[in-house]
Amino acid sequence: MYRQGDVLIMPVAEEAVPSHAADARSEPRDARGRMVLALGEVTGHAHAVTGRGRLVREAGPFGPMLLHLPEGGRVVHEEHAAIPLPKGWFRVVRQREYTPGAVRIVAD
Amino acid sequence: MQYVDKWRAVAAATGAADRAEAEDGVRLAYRTAELSEPERIIWVDSPRAGVEAVRSLGDGTGRSVRHEVRTQPWAQERRRVHDELGPVGYAELWARTGARLWDTTRALSERIRTGIVESFARELVEESEVRSVLLDAVLGQHDAAWLAAFDGRSPRLEGLARVAEHTGWWWPHEKVTVICERPVELHRDEAGRLDRGDGPALAFPDGFALHAWRGMPVPAKFLSDLAHLTLERIRAEENAELRRVMLEYYGYDRYLEESGAQPVHRDETGVLWRIELDGDEPVVMVEVVNSTPEPDGSNRTYWLRVPPTTRTAKEGVAWTFGLNPDAYEPVTQT
Repeated sequence: MYRQGDVLIMPVAEEAVPSHAADARSEPRDARGRMVLALGEVTGHAHAVTGRGRLVREAGPFGPMLLHLPEGGRVVHEEHAAIPLPKGWFRVVRQREYTPGAVRIVAD
Repeated sequence: MQYVDKWRAVAAATGAADRAEAEDGVRLAYRTAELSEPERIIWVDSPRAGVEAVRSLGDGTGRSVRHEVRTQPWAQERRRVHDELGPVGYAELWARTGARLWDTTRALSERIRTGIVESFARELVEESEVRSVLLDAVLGQHDAAWLAAFDGRSPRLEGLARVAEHTGWWWPHEKVTVICERPVELHRDEAGRLDRGDGPALAFPDGFALHAWRGMPVPAKFLSDLAHLTLERIRAEENAELRRVMLEYYGYDRYLEESGAQPVHRDETGVLWRIELDGDEPVVMVEVVNSTPEPDGSNRTYWLRVPPTTRTAKEGVAWTFGLNPDAYEPVTQT
């Protein structure tokens, strides 16, 4: 399990990967060829992964998302240290905050 | 992606319009719709002033040609691109272009509409009358979502796109086009919601403005009072939403310190704090430290509000990621 700011990246065992993930459409990469896990709407700062692999969106605008890295990769962000990731499948979760009557996404 | 980035910037653009380019765009849009160019183009300083101008001109503008200029070419292009790409291809095109801008731009234009209607209510103008004028507006920069979807594949939308790239809302009528300047101020939070604590979150050159905190509309007076908050004033506020804004503005850390709050629990993930409030659920927060040092070597501390039932700091941090405390075990944090 890895945390970069407001994004948590959890390893998922091969047998626990949902069967539909293999056929699901990959999220397009950004202009720099990266897989974007979370994008700051205003700053444009992104939690992004470089390297081979695919990103599949599960539900909702803020995930969760499934990330597949057949050879491992690196998650980078403008304000956080990079984290190397081993090969495998991951679930990507964005941090949220409690507000009475609603829950909102944290953005850093 | 390049279209999304370009149109995201267009939707958020502030500052003086390029009037010559925008007017060229208007004329091109009329010609593309096989209409004569407008006899007059009138510039105003806000969408609110646009509504005023359209109302005061009355029949002198001729009928609205929004349908011919905007709706019809858009619908026809949508059908053509849909037929060309098929339902799946079209859905994919929309998902990687317009869908990414839709929610934030639609929310913004809806807030502007609401603000305009409210401002006319003070002058006792019928809401239905204002709304019907607003229905005739072409949203210029705030049509960014669908212009992003058709960029590069629909030359007949070029006039509309050119206006949108250079200015804000406009009203195409047979003889007269009323066209608005862009905002001079636009402040949003990371989620794209209007957000500013020390002035209007959205303001136009003529003073028409909207005040909001993290998307929540607030009165201008409320914001100007934030600078003079006291513990007593926060405690006395009966509206829970406004009190939350006050707490956020005042700073949870400062409030905790000055109110003598005691930490409830402390562990390797952080510190859990609790503030009891009269007649409302308590505020429970985890205090966590950013693992990556700031450029000056310090580590930024921040507070996240968690459900009032939270008992430990780790339970709180785990909750922010939708996990049980046992499942939350990061090996690396930055």
